[in-house]
Amino acid sequence: MLKKLNAKPLFLATALLATGIGISGCSEKIAYGDATATETTTIGFGSTDLQSIATKMVDDVLASPFVAEVSKQGRPVAFVDKIKNKTTEHIDTESITDSIQTKLLQSGKFRFVDMTAVEQVKKQLNYQQEGGLVDPAKAVALGKQTGAQYMLYGNLSSIQKRNDDKKDVYYKFTMKVLNLETAELEWASEKEIRKTGEKTFLAL
Amino acid sequence: MSKKNYLLSLFIGFSLLSGCAVNETASVKIDESNQKQTIIEPNSGLFSQDITVTDTIVAKAGDLLKVQVTIKNDSRNDAKFQYKFKWLDKDGFELSLDSRPWQPLSITAYESKNVQAVAPNPSAASFKILVQD
Repeated sequence: MLKKLNAKPLFLATALLATGIGISGCSEKIAYGDATATETTTIGFGSTDLQSIATKMVDDVLASPFVAEVSKQGRPVAFVDKIKNKTTEHIDTESITDSIQTKLLQSGKFRFVDMTAVEQVKKQLNYQQEGGLVDPAKAVALGKQTGAQYMLYGNLSSIQKRNDDKKDVYYKFTMKVLNLETAELEWASEKEIRKTGEKTFLAL
Repeated sequence: MSKKNYLLSLFIGFSLLSGCAVNETASVKIDESNQKQTIIEPNSGLFSQDITVTDTIVAKAGDLLKVQVTIKNDSRNDAKFQYKFKWLDKDGFELSLDSRPWQPLSITAYESKNVQAVAPNPSAASFKILVQD
């Protein structure tokens, strides 16, 4: 009698466990992670590389004698040109320059004109001036935009090597600040990144 | 706090952090007279006993705080870990939340490496350096 009573819960528990294993076996687990965590999913250019480059460039430029000098006369106006992607990967270099520009703006040391918005700005100004819909007294006055004094630009290059067991990738990001009036380079900095990948036996 | 005591407290703070998986290490506060005040918050273990912070330097780059932390690997094995700087204003508010990433760092046997950071804006009054493996 006692044996008979215990058999039912045991059977139920076993059935539940089996169902649990069955469900977990083929389900996908989604979780939020730390956006600033080190990411090593593949050897290719990743979020950690992007963040490391932006942080290093901003730290270097803010600590440079160039910024100490020019910030005495106020906040210089700059614009960000493209970063040339010379690697073999598809990399959104605008995302790197966006991060750099945001950090520099937040530091209060620079002002920027956004050359990626020129077409939209022109369109809006044309609408205000020529559309006949906007009160001329309230339309934005033309010819008052600020010209950039400095240009930020650079390169991203890579060297990749691999054999049967190992992969090695080296990235070099170079950024420069050019004085548009004198065409002199005022500042430059580099960030190097080396990543290696190795095939492991049984993931050990 | 004298420089010797300050270094000693940093050393103790890091020595307490042993094991694997972790965070929080030391924070350095700069008061109005430009004196460093160090707070150790070893709330969990990470750094192996072979790794120590041997020095920190604080200076101003214009009106921005600039820091350098020297980390030494005393062991005969390479040390691989991640570090991150956090910046706080004088009231303790963190500046530019999550704007600095965890940065991987590798130090070969018996070598020292310096890590540097510049405050994101002039309101930074103190910083923390966090480590994890």
